[in-house]
Amino acid sequence: MALAFQVLVTGAAAGAVYGLVAVGHSLVYRLTGVVNFAYGDLVGLAVFTTLLVAAGTGPVTQTSIGGARFLVALVAGVVVCSAASAGTYLFAIQPYVERGSTVGWVGATLAVAFALNALVALIFTRASYVIPDPLPFRRVGTGGYFAVGEVEVQTRAFFVIAVGVALAAAASVVLARTSFGRALRAIADDADAASMMGVPVQTLVAAAFGLCGALAGLAAIVAAPSASFSTQTGLLLGVKGLLAALLVRFGSPWRAFGAGVALGVAEAAIAGLTVAGYELGPEYREVLPIAAVLLLVALRPPRQALEEQE
Amino acid sequence: MTRVTAAARDAVSDARAAWAPSQTLLAVITAAALLLPLAVRDQLTLTSLASWAYLALAAVGLTFVVGLAGMPSLAQGALLAVGAVVAAVLRADGDWPPVAAAAAGALAAAVAGGVVGAAVGRVRPAFVAVATWLFAWLVARGLAEFPAFAGGAEGRIVPQGTVAGIDLGATLHWEIAVVLVTLGALGLAAVARGQPGLGLAGLRERPAQALALGVPALRLRTAAFAAAGLYAGLAGAFAVQLDGIADPAAYSPVLSFTLFAAVLLGGARSAVGAVAGTALVGVLFWAADRLASSAGVATGRLETLFAAALLLGALAIRSETVLPSLFRRREEVPAPVPLPVPRPARLEARGLEKRFGDEPALAAFDLTVEPGAITALVGPNGSGKTTVLRLLAGTAAPDLGEVLLDGSPLPRGSQRTRALAGIVRTLQATQVFAGLSVLENARVGAGLHVQATGLARALVATPRARAGSRVARGTALAALREVGLEGDAERAAGHLTATDQRLVMLAAALAASPRVLLVDEPSAGAAAEDVARIADVLVRIRDRGIAVLVVEHNLGLVGRVADRIVVLDAGRTIAAGAPHEIGDDPAVRAVYLGGRVISRKTPD
Repeated sequence: MALAFQVLVTGAAAGAVYGLVAVGHSLVYRLTGVVNFAYGDLVGLAVFTTLLVAAGTGPVTQTSIGGARFLVALVAGVVVCSAASAGTYLFAIQPYVERGSTVGWVGATLAVAFALNALVALIFTRASYVIPDPLPFRRVGTGGYFAVGEVEVQTRAFFVIAVGVALAAAASVVLARTSFGRALRAIADDADAASMMGVPVQTLVAAAFGLCGALAGLAAIVAAPSASFSTQTGLLLGVKGLLAALLVRFGSPWRAFGAGVALGVAEAAIAGLTVAGYELGPEYREVLPIAAVLLLVALRPPRQALEEQE
Repeated sequence: MTRVTAAARDAVSDARAAWAPSQTLLAVITAAALLLPLAVRDQLTLTSLASWAYLALAAVGLTFVVGLAGMPSLAQGALLAVGAVVAAVLRADGDWPPVAAAAAGALAAAVAGGVVGAAVGRVRPAFVAVATWLFAWLVARGLAEFPAFAGGAEGRIVPQGTVAGIDLGATLHWEIAVVLVTLGALGLAAVARGQPGLGLAGLRERPAQALALGVPALRLRTAAFAAAGLYAGLAGAFAVQLDGIADPAAYSPVLSFTLFAAVLLGGARSAVGAVAGTALVGVLFWAADRLASSAGVATGRLETLFAAALLLGALAIRSETVLPSLFRRREEVPAPVPLPVPRPARLEARGLEKRFGDEPALAAFDLTVEPGAITALVGPNGSGKTTVLRLLAGTAAPDLGEVLLDGSPLPRGSQRTRALAGIVRTLQATQVFAGLSVLENARVGAGLHVQATGLARALVATPRARAGSRVARGTALAALREVGLEGDAERAAGHLTATDQRLVMLAAALAASPRVLLVDEPSAGAAAEDVARIADVLVRIRDRGIAVLVVEHNLGLVGRVADRIVVLDAGRTIAAGAPHEIGDDPAVRAVYLGGRVISRKTPD
């Protein structure tokens, strides 16, 4: 029971970040019909920009950064990620969507992804990094952990989950309640009609990309101190978010967020799972969910089949 | 034996007839490449060149999917890994000979490619990219996490073997790679020119139109992915023996991206482009590594950055074709094969009903389309005309009622099964395959009844596949003659006038040898003199004995060609009969209130 609780909390904390990436993937897909393959690296960019502003490229411990400086760094990270996300739309997606070139935007967003990844890796050359944490979670419980039965749960995890839920709620409210959200829903329904009604489609979609970048970037920065962060982590976050978004067929923010959390919990659970007397072990953690979602897509292809294209 | 020699002689004469300067160039380049080891003595350089040549083979394979089928596959690196790992395991643990291990690896990758293709064959391109990208991650993570396949972090050592007593070293690898790339390029070209290539091109440009002509989408796309897997598997299975080690880190999704970038840089349309694109990336990587070592950066750090930057720049300049298509083949105009005389067919709809939500789009609808006659279906917008066509053509299933061909009910099924039964539909919008020639447009339709049109047969250009291709070309030309576009056979269809494009669509449908032809608004947007041309073509099609159903707004055209008119309003038939009867019908006059009255058929 205690073990299940640990799996749930640890998995949900990791899944909260997947979830917000999934929210972004879903919104972007519904607005433009494209998938931003650079999204994960944009999130990685947010984390590394924060690290750069907070502590430079040198070694850093979790405690060495003060709250004020970290706040500046956090804002810098979110702003850079948000701007880069909007830029990706304007320069690597919109021109190809306009030309009707799928191969074009797939190539361009992947190129942005790998360019960002390589640039960050040029500056941050070590295998992995510790991200500073200005909030004193390590003083709660024993070294940031408290015991539940025979297992220990990281205190931070609850904070990450809370921030994730809050951000998903914010995305949902923006989409449902604001005039910006109404315009976005109109674009998702029929971009041409929205454009004819005088909705500035391109500007609003760029803003939505910026918003998605900010949400997922913020979630990743908040979650990053919980574990070490490498230059490949962002890329992987993008893939996990995509997996969750695909699972719910690029559905509403809450569904996408839920799928992300479920993916996180599944990953945490798989490591300790025993199937027919055979212990699966951590090597199945990442492989099984991908295989499962791909199988689902193959067996139940998305509604919009070939006939409905054009 | 005599059959084999006859077939071989046939193939040689075909090849001689189709010989072009580009092929002389290909032969010269291949010969020069084979002699390269005489000039390059350094084994390390030769090893590097051979490994890039294998990557070029994988890129040529990816052209089947990205270029011909227009599907953004990011799985090619993963398929290469499948071939490499299977070969590595068989070499290291099974002690298989090198070539057998490579063949097994290629086969495994072809099967894996086919499975991926079948899974994504019917989804939108964006989903193809997502699913293949996730597949690339699945393979990469799987290889990294499970040492049983590729030895985990340390990799799996692959022993060097011998082929026919010769050490399989860098030199022999280079020779094998060059031969494979050349054969691969010929196979790709054969598929691109043959029926499967045209079917894939049609699906790429206008999926709806290709499906309406009965192109087997799922089968062709699955085959394209399988071919891509075959090439990637061969490349991986030999390359892993060249490297001497299967290293999971080498098969990360970056490899899939690199191959995708190489194909895009080369224009994604031909083997020459794929090879040139790979060479470009190779040179770029070399330059990146030189720069990295002089700048004191770890080797490999700049490679992906440079490739990504080049791809972004290239895409920004020109969307899909960066290297221009160097060899634009002129297609020789074939001798026409007479169109078959259709067996007369009567298509009947009985009690059809279709609802969209609570709205009945069609209710209690009966219709008979007689052979050798033109039946016209008219009615205001939203009266259900296009719904009727969709139900008859099999793109939608009725809620009630049935469709009968010659008195027996048609099973529910795809457009292809309807097309094979003889029911072919043209679409409402002008949907020619703009990038194909006029003749090729008609050939897409002509492929329907031609035997031996599978991709595997086209890949190795079997005599039956080539004979089938000839028949399809001849049929297509005859269909073009029927609509009066024979003289434009070699022009790009997208450059024709709107009316000529509509006639191309009719020719493509006619080339599919229909017994029943369903025509959706043939005169939409046509000027008066063009309407007369379309009317003439419709009459000629009718006079071939085909049962024609025309859905049309232009009452002038209807009055001119129709033998029988059915008037539809709000999903119900309100009148049916000969043109002169319809014109006087008060119910019809009410529907077209204040509008035109259908003119009487004028004697020619």
